[in-house]
Amino acid sequence: MKNDRNSFVFRLVITLFVILAINFFLPRIMPGDPFSTTSEDDSGDEVIIMTEEQRLYYMSYYGLDKPVHEQFLVYLKNLLKADLGRSIYYKMPVSDVIMLHLPWTMMIVFGSTVISTVAGVILGTFSAKNRKKGSDRLMMAGMIAFAEIPSFLLGLILLLAFSVHFRLFPLAGAITPFAHYSGPVEQLWDILYHAFLPVMTLSLAQLTGVYLLTRNTLITVTTKDYIRTARAKGLGEKTVWTRHALRNALLPVVTRAGFMIGIMMGGVVLVESVFSYPGIGMTLRSAVVGRDYPLIQGILLVIAVSILICNLLVDKIYSKLDPRVAI
Amino acid sequence: MIENVNVSGYARIIVYIQALSIYRISLSLNNTFSKFSTEGKIGVLGILVIILMAVFAPMITLYPPQKITGDSLESPGSVHILGTDELGMDIWSQICYGARMSLTIGLAVAFISGFGGGAIGILAGYIGGHVDQALMRIIDVTMALPSFPLLIVISAFLGPSILNVILILVLFSWAKPARIARSQTLAIKKNSYIIAAKNYGAKPLYILRRHIFPEVMPVLFVLIIGISSHAIIAEAGLAFLGLGDPTSKSWGMMLNSATGFSAIYFTPYWKWWLLPPLFILIFLLLCLAFISRDMERILDPKLKIKKGV
Repeated sequence: MKNDRNSFVFRLVITLFVILAINFFLPRIMPGDPFSTTSEDDSGDEVIIMTEEQRLYYMSYYGLDKPVHEQFLVYLKNLLKADLGRSIYYKMPVSDVIMLHLPWTMMIVFGSTVISTVAGVILGTFSAKNRKKGSDRLMMAGMIAFAEIPSFLLGLILLLAFSVHFRLFPLAGAITPFAHYSGPVEQLWDILYHAFLPVMTLSLAQLTGVYLLTRNTLITVTTKDYIRTARAKGLGEKTVWTRHALRNALLPVVTRAGFMIGIMMGGVVLVESVFSYPGIGMTLRSAVVGRDYPLIQGILLVIAVSILICNLLVDKIYSKLDPRVAI
Repeated sequence: MIENVNVSGYARIIVYIQALSIYRISLSLNNTFSKFSTEGKIGVLGILVIILMAVFAPMITLYPPQKITGDSLESPGSVHILGTDELGMDIWSQICYGARMSLTIGLAVAFISGFGGGAIGILAGYIGGHVDQALMRIIDVTMALPSFPLLIVISAFLGPSILNVILILVLFSWAKPARIARSQTLAIKKNSYIIAAKNYGAKPLYILRRHIFPEVMPVLFVLIIGISSHAIIAEAGLAFLGLGDPTSKSWGMMLNSATGFSAIYFTPYWKWWLLPPLFILIFLLLCLAFISRDMERILDPKLKIKKGV
């Protein structure tokens, strides 16, 4: 078991290394270099901006004349200092841009994780209790069909229905622009009001996974001997379900919640674009459109690292919850 | 295929194998279809309709998809069935031709990564030892990579073209079929009929072709459907972000240009510009999902496929 866990951490480290390597080498395998710029004057003739001497100077200034492995080490060293370079568009350090937008993303991702987990467990339990009855079948069919709609298309539907057609929710943004709040309650309300549809989209997209997992694990668990023992002891049906069945069925759900954060961090780019929600996903989109390469790389790194951290946390929490794993 | 037969003896053998397996597949497909539930049948019919739309796009549309054939933002009517976009291009034509894009990418990615990854997995499982261990490590890392963010970054750097999108998607989706094919192969390898065949002097290639591949094949087929729907979603997502191939109109590109049109939500344009690509994408994905669920159900007693975590 010990060995297994070491290999798990080792795998995460390797994965992180691969992402760093992709991040580092992608711009370098592109043709050209940052200083071989030319421009055109009014008559359309090419104007050389830098002389060869200047170019070499800048190459050595930015360390681009060193061998690749040394550049990679410098890159890693800068990363340790949380130096991700400067954004071309925002004209400020990439880490600052990310810090400005990350809280919004964290808020909607965590919000949806909680909502979809709680709702999924409740619906799954309901379904498992009414197994093979009409309500269970209907719910299963609906949920399964629902799960196949990718989150950004679902988001578009919700946006068109609730914001465009019924005009119940805002079309874009995370707060009302230029708003003056009379108090923190009003401000919180405004934030929740803007976050509602994005959070709904993400939660609905993840709901089916939790629902199916809860339902199926519960159904497996209820056939176990200790459930029969609990019933034979004369425990009430409610105690059997909550204390014996659900408690054991929740283990995989916890794992699922952790991985869900990872999946959502990937999907959130599209969902934020749909709702023009100013998180890092939306920033990534505008960075892609504006070809702001340092920012693109920085955001990728943040997303990747947060996914890896979640996986690590899941592993830790799981061994706490299930003593059988941590031997 | 028939012209290829007289190229060389080698090619003839390959064609023969292909013909055999295609015959076998079509037989088994026919059998499976009769086992499909109503949903599954709807799925198959839906996919057929979309394939027909893609194949006969020039015949069922009146206008080329990328030519200005009408006024800007005409509402649906007798001239343009589904209206026109902001440049005056016909929406119905774009939908039909866009089907080609989605289907091409979905099928190409699914078949390359399904059979390629499957072959790698079968070989690794059969050979075992260090090769197998090394492959498992690579698969672990590939599956742990956050695919969609990486997809965005790589296509932002490499530039948007259909080929790049297909290549990148293959790079991220071969691992699952490889892993499942490997574990299937490991299980099958232990069967006594394989050991018997070996003792009778069967060559590894023969065993792989006659015994292992046909057994792994159905699972790969289910995975291929899943991968193709993932690939279609990924392509649509990339195009929606503005990373689609600008030379072709895909459904994702339509979504991108419609949502990028300023103040579209304050006008009625979204009703004929945004809804058609949205609905047809969802329809295609639902059809694929119905088929894959049904196939899984049919295969289930024999094989357990873990749906993605």
